[in-house]
Amino acid sequence: MSDSLLVDHKKAVFRRRLLVALQYTVAILVTLIILFPIFWMLISSVKSSEELLAPVPTFWPKEWHFENYLNVLKKAPFGLYYFNTIVSTAGIMALQLGIGIFAAYGFAKGDFKGKNVLFLVVLGALMIPIQVTFVPIYVMCARMQWINTFWALIIPNAVSAYFIFMLRQTFMSVDNSYLEAAKVDGMGRIGIIFRILCPMCKPTLLTVTIITFIDGWNSYFWPKMVTTNESRRTIAIGVAMLRNTFAGMQTMNNHEIMAGAVIGVLPIIVVFVVLQKYLLTGFSKAAMK
Amino acid sequence: MKKVLAIVLAAALALTTLAGCSGGSTGTAPASSSSTALTGEDGGAPTADQFEVTEPIEIEWWHAQESQYAETIDKVIADFEAQNPNIKVNAIYQGSYTELNEKLIAAQAAGNTLPALVVANTPYVAEYGASGLCEVLDPYIEATGFEIDDFGEGLVASTQYDGQQVALPFLISTQIMFYNKTMADEEGIKLPETWDEMDAFMEAASKDGRYATVFPGWDQWYFEPYYLNRGVKLVNDDQVSTDLDSDLAIETAQKLKEWCDKGYAYWAYGTDASSIMRQNFIDGKTFSVMHTTSLYNTYVDNCDFEVGMHYYPGDVTRDSEVGGCVLLIPAKNSQEVKNAGWKLLSYLCSKEVNMIWASESGYMPTRNSVLQTEEGEAFLAEKPAFKAVFDNLDNINPRIQHPAWSSFANIWKETMAKSILENGDIAADMKNAVTEMNEVLSDA
Amino acid sequence: MKTTAPANTSVSKPMAAEIPFNKPSKLKRMEQFKDLLCVIPALIFLVIFTYYPIVDLFRISFTDWNLIKDTYTYVGAKNWIWLFQGSGWDTFLQSLKVTALYTLGELTITLVGGILLALLFNRISKPFSAMRAIVFMPKYIAVSTSAIVFLWILNGESGILNYVLNKLGFESVAWTTSEKTALLSVLMLTAWRVVGYAMMIYLSAIRGISQDYYEAASLDGANGFQQFWRITVPLLSPTTLFLFVTTFIASMKVFQSVDVMTEGGPYGSTQVMVHWIYELAFKDFRVDRAAVVSCVFFIILVTFTAATLKWSNKSVNYDS
Repeated sequence: MSDSLLVDHKKAVFRRRLLVALQYTVAILVTLIILFPIFWMLISSVKSSEELLAPVPTFWPKEWHFENYLNVLKKAPFGLYYFNTIVSTAGIMALQLGIGIFAAYGFAKGDFKGKNVLFLVVLGALMIPIQVTFVPIYVMCARMQWINTFWALIIPNAVSAYFIFMLRQTFMSVDNSYLEAAKVDGMGRIGIIFRILCPMCKPTLLTVTIITFIDGWNSYFWPKMVTTNESRRTIAIGVAMLRNTFAGMQTMNNHEIMAGAVIGVLPIIVVFVVLQKYLLTGFSKAAMK
Repeated sequence: MKKVLAIVLAAALALTTLAGCSGGSTGTAPASSSSTALTGEDGGAPTADQFEVTEPIEIEWWHAQESQYAETIDKVIADFEAQNPNIKVNAIYQGSYTELNEKLIAAQAAGNTLPALVVANTPYVAEYGASGLCEVLDPYIEATGFEIDDFGEGLVASTQYDGQQVALPFLISTQIMFYNKTMADEEGIKLPETWDEMDAFMEAASKDGRYATVFPGWDQWYFEPYYLNRGVKLVNDDQVSTDLDSDLAIETAQKLKEWCDKGYAYWAYGTDASSIMRQNFIDGKTFSVMHTTSLYNTYVDNCDFEVGMHYYPGDVTRDSEVGGCVLLIPAKNSQEVKNAGWKLLSYLCSKEVNMIWASESGYMPTRNSVLQTEEGEAFLAEKPAFKAVFDNLDNINPRIQHPAWSSFANIWKETMAKSILENGDIAADMKNAVTEMNEVLSDA
Repeated sequence: MKTTAPANTSVSKPMAAEIPFNKPSKLKRMEQFKDLLCVIPALIFLVIFTYYPIVDLFRISFTDWNLIKDTYTYVGAKNWIWLFQGSGWDTFLQSLKVTALYTLGELTITLVGGILLALLFNRISKPFSAMRAIVFMPKYIAVSTSAIVFLWILNGESGILNYVLNKLGFESVAWTTSEKTALLSVLMLTAWRVVGYAMMIYLSAIRGISQDYYEAASLDGANGFQQFWRITVPLLSPTTLFLFVTTFIASMKVFQSVDVMTEGGPYGSTQVMVHWIYELAFKDFRVDRAAVVSCVFFIILVTFTAATLKWSNKSVNYDS
């Protein structure tokens, strides 16, 4: 009796170990697949043009051509691009936070007529892509003499419907009794927002703020339209410009394009690695509503 | 709370002003200052003084010439600024022709962010001209005595709209067949002079895995001369229909497909098509390719064999079309900016600058005074392959100008590519497509 | 999503009913006004930069403007007729089909792929947490950049993917340049970008499910698969709804990856709606038609989203 139990137990242990091993294998495989494009970008960026086009690709560069980076940096003022990107992204973050937190509060905890209808206005804005509406916006910015200034990069992005939506979902999860208690203590609206709601929803707040930062950093279409000279071009445009066609001909400088891509992506990867734990917590809150 | 109120009020204020401003923005006519320049101040002939730049001014020039031309541009602009101390020029690369077009259109809609001078790919001239984007240049040409007659007729015609000069030729190219001259000499391959010789050429020049030539299917510009030279009009005289379903056109399409089916040639199509085609030529996997003359230097620099240029074979006619880019001045600018723009334009289109480009790239010399003199001979001595172009200068025609041309061409090239690459019934496919193409043409 | 959805996260307590005041005092009206003021700035920006342009597009849809001309005339419903009864209709249907296919693809990747990866990576250990971070990361790399990298990987001639396929004994595939695989190529980029994000969201939801449910189920003799199907999936429905709605909206609006990778081609096989609108305005110089399509497309999006939300109110399980 006890023997067979032992065998059963051993079998179970073995099976569990096998499953764990299987889980590890598949997970590692998936991770490698996801990692590959980033690896390939890095590797391609230090190869020579000839090695890149060789019929048999090499998984490790034969020679390291770090001068690809120098060539790219010589082609365009990437330092200026970084500066423009940082300033405009910071501006967008500040405004989205400032305006978005109040709006999220109003929609989550406020009490006024037409709240739901007005919230639909916010939701509706999620559905309009900039590629469709940018001409009227461009004309507005041009009228305000904003082209090639930070204003044009920042102001049209000052409010994000997504930001408000996410934050509202989280604010709603805070129980009203906290707010009532604060009111009884004589706390005003601003106090409630910044001393109760925001601290309680810090994870989501951090998440959406980081996402705003990353989106601002990565945005391409609108900055491309409103910058007609180098002075305010951002990093994403700089990278894309490396890859332009001329007279219907693709340029064959993939090594430099990849080097440019690395230059553009690196700060995001750093931000991600440092802040990734905050990137997650906030999402889960909003998603479970 | 007061702060919030202040923000709200400020924002509300901004809203009303903005709405006020933009209401009329895309509406009717923020009147342009252009029309006054068409005649002289008192209605008489325009005078040179009128177009003089007297005050210091800073202007923008938007172009699509990527980094390999950066040095040439810097040099040319520095020379210009030295000659015109009043004018400071910002030459700005705006990306590809398509991206440049987007930006120009957005700037035109806004009206106050336009550059003084801009480059445009030749197919855009018709639409820009028809919509009044371009300043009419005739008064400037007349007043400043710009030697426009020195350009070939085809070039002048391709920069006109409705009889008016709306642009001037800048970097001009035409369709050409690049071939491996070393290979041709070794194997005694005879290049086709006529459509009828194509069959023999295809057979002779292709062998075990090597193509005789490549058709760039990603742009109809490269294969439309075959149609035009055989007498297909593409857009009928009525301007609302096409003859691409005529027996002649169908037969031409079938022939193109037959050559691809037999493995003599292949139809290059898709995102990387042009770099792949170029690589195949460099690697000797194809005897020849059809491309634009502007890429001459690129081919020569990358090939370790001698590169020849051969004019497309003819049939009823033996013509080719103008390609490349032109320069134009947006009409909405102030007269001061336009004057400075004209200074730069006439400088960039001058013989000297044209020769700089011609020697440093594959763009063509555009001036008769170059082509028919010792200068031209000197140029040919340096780039002998260009003889094929020089011999045919009178046969380089303007492109077809029709407001719906781009949609029309798009249907055409997609149908061709699909039928040839996916082995469809090209006669039936073309007939289907023609219904759609006629709709597009008559719709414009 | 409904304003009165019951609270269910750790910060909340299960009693939320507001105490109704009977008389709308002056004080209360003042409070209401202040609440309203909180949302006004955001609304102003949305009206200026999102809704005014749409209204303007609606107006343009009745003109013959081409974006370049200074003047235009109102031509009545001509452009609307072009779309619904003219040559625009077929292209519209084709584009709608492509957009729907793409959306279906992205939804499948997000919902199915996300859950599967969440189960796979649901293990508390250092290596797993590192691997999760890697899988999650692509979401934050610029599409304009990652699309270029994917183009290079999928390159028909010198791309690494075809090289690997050849080594494994398969034929080369003309990824982005063949009608059959172009949309798939775009979806490959999409999958790479979104699957980790969906995984992370599902994972945190799965960890929020109380173990009691599973213990009760195993006492009842339910096996792992049954537990997943009868407990995990239903309890994840709010998360699924969230992902469904946000993914739906995002994927219907896809532009950047298509623009870089295929430019809508070949033969319109990746001509998603936004890209078509864009080409109408800039390639064909028909902003009037682009405006019509934009308006119709906007209506479709709003209708679908509203319908989803309405339907979900009935069927999504909030009682975890």
